[in-house]
Amino acid sequence: MQFDRRSLLRYTAAAGALGLAGPMAGTAFAAREKELNILCWEGYNSDEVLDPFRRKTSASVKAESGTSDPDMINKLRAGEVNVWDVINLNQPWARDQMWPEGLIKPLPQERFEPYFANMMAPYGKEYPWCYSPDGKELLGMVQRFGPFNFVVNTDKVSRATAEDEGFNLFNEASNAGRYGILTYDNWNIYHMCIGAGLDPFVKHSEAEIAAFEKVARAWFKGAKLLTDDLVAMNLALINGEIDFYLTGGTYTASPARLDGATNIRGITPKKGPLAGGKGGITWVEITSVVNNPNGSPLALDFLEYVQDPEVCHAVAFAEGTYNPVTQMANPQVFEKFSSEELDAIQWDSLEEELSNTVDYQINPDYDVMDKIYNAAKREA
Amino acid sequence: MTATTEVRTTEAAKPRLRRGRSLRVSPGLLAALPVLIFLALAFAAPLLAVFGYSFMPEGTFDFTFPPTFENYLAVFSGSYYISFAKSLGLALVTVVLLMVICWPIAYGMAKLFGRWANLMTLAIIIPLFVSENIRLFGWMLFLIKGGVFLGGLKAWLGFDGESILYDVPAIVLGLVYVYLPFTLFPMVLGISMVSREVTEAAFDMGASRWQVFREIELPLATPGILIGGLLTFILSLGSLAESKILGGQAVIMIADEIETAFTFGQNWPLGSALSVILILFSGTLVLTLLSWVDLDRILGRGGND
Repeated sequence: MQFDRRSLLRYTAAAGALGLAGPMAGTAFAAREKELNILCWEGYNSDEVLDPFRRKTSASVKAESGTSDPDMINKLRAGEVNVWDVINLNQPWARDQMWPEGLIKPLPQERFEPYFANMMAPYGKEYPWCYSPDGKELLGMVQRFGPFNFVVNTDKVSRATAEDEGFNLFNEASNAGRYGILTYDNWNIYHMCIGAGLDPFVKHSEAEIAAFEKVARAWFKGAKLLTDDLVAMNLALINGEIDFYLTGGTYTASPARLDGATNIRGITPKKGPLAGGKGGITWVEITSVVNNPNGSPLALDFLEYVQDPEVCHAVAFAEGTYNPVTQMANPQVFEKFSSEELDAIQWDSLEEELSNTVDYQINPDYDVMDKIYNAAKREA
Repeated sequence: MTATTEVRTTEAAKPRLRRGRSLRVSPGLLAALPVLIFLALAFAAPLLAVFGYSFMPEGTFDFTFPPTFENYLAVFSGSYYISFAKSLGLALVTVVLLMVICWPIAYGMAKLFGRWANLMTLAIIIPLFVSENIRLFGWMLFLIKGGVFLGGLKAWLGFDGESILYDVPAIVLGLVYVYLPFTLFPMVLGISMVSREVTEAAFDMGASRWQVFREIELPLATPGILIGGLLTFILSLGSLAESKILGGQAVIMIADEIETAFTFGQNWPLGSALSVILILFSGTLVLTLLSWVDLDRILGRGGND
């Protein structure tokens, strides 16, 4: 094609007109049949998970991960409810915040409830965090999960000792300099509460907040290393720089275990101050559909797509971290996992660990404790 | 043509001339307009947003609230001064160390190495193509217990040492390593401005090596040294990765506090107030120091020598 100055001008003008018309065309024709935007924890944004869906639907699928659950919700609150179609967060946020604030919309129960038959206990149809408080609306589907407490090098501290001692391991003055803190701030705060003998998920008295502060200051003072990078933390654990670290579990230990460092193990304390005398916390992600006024019709298809056994395995072993998925009760899903993969996600102790944990919930004193936590970190 | 006509013509031409002059200005302005618009949108607008957020109440996500100073009060009444002071201290130590390390290298590159200087420049520039985090992670693998250095020492000499990781020296090492080129290259430029004739004249007049360094080379190279020092200082002050990757956050840098406020803290106004204070501090420092330095001289536009 001959490309002269006149044709250049013509094409530029056409492109400009399209550019101007673009935003209006979007609202006028709601042409989002071929695009999907996912806000999620890392893993769902990997090509292993998304590429087959892209091929199947010929859609443009974009996914972005955040640094914390509130970080992602605040994106929706700040107006990005018009941008995202699917949101994937830990269990408490859908029912306790996004649903009351109208940020997500319910799923068609007849389409999704049959999938609960394939879920591991306690994530069946009766799992309350998937539903609205009145139990009438289905708010999301569960998939990845894992106990998340602390991690030890079993060559230095045995699993039995760690489980019996629980978070007191970090309270012992003689252990100063032997541990690291993986700075997932909100989780650290929960674990510091447990270390102070408190249930993090209830409202706390001033004396209890003071007890939390004492633990936060002592733990930061005794920590040899702080990092928000699980690879750096595992490396320090494997190389003997530290013997254990807090805020960790299957999610953080599994990459090291799959690489052969099976002495790195996520630990769930046998007892503690949580409801029912439990000593640990388990997270499970719930994937919901954003209440986007111009939402993509592919959102529900994507939620259904991730229930496929092949995709379940891809989600469990997406790049970065490896985690069990609730669909593993389905033999067709379970058979996708090799023995090394099952060992990496600590399948042998998973059921026992789950029985010693409570669900991750929202901490009503998070704002106060976050300020204390950051001051303790800074002043250590 | 009579004188009267000439005057009248000049007078008649005046408005046109004025219009002409204003037209002569406007093409430049017009040409600069896209850049100005781009800068206003991409540079000034985000800064203004940060400035605006710093006056919003804690934990809010839009500008619809009445302005408040509570974030600034929180910064000044809390212990954030520790992070400011430690970041400042680390930045100063980095600048001083880099001055000492870079002077001989820069002197060599400007005066002694000849064409080898180009090779050295390449050797220093090429690692910049690799992400800073990856280079720092490489240092971590080198320094960690059982890593390249300590593991090697143990295997070859049976020596079991402790690593310097997760403490202040490791952070300083990271800062010095990462920001070396930012001090070095302006310093090379500064030293190359010292003409050989001047130093030779000083030597001829009986000056010692020390005197030549102190009274000739250092003052003449000052603009380059200042620019390099300033760049390094500002970058170190806002650094994050060195403390996180090598230092195990033994020091919580001010950039880390800002990141925490925006992410885990979900307190954009507090993060904005911290940012504004850091920007004001760095900005004041840059403007003050730059007012001492004649940029035209450095860039060789000369005129006053």
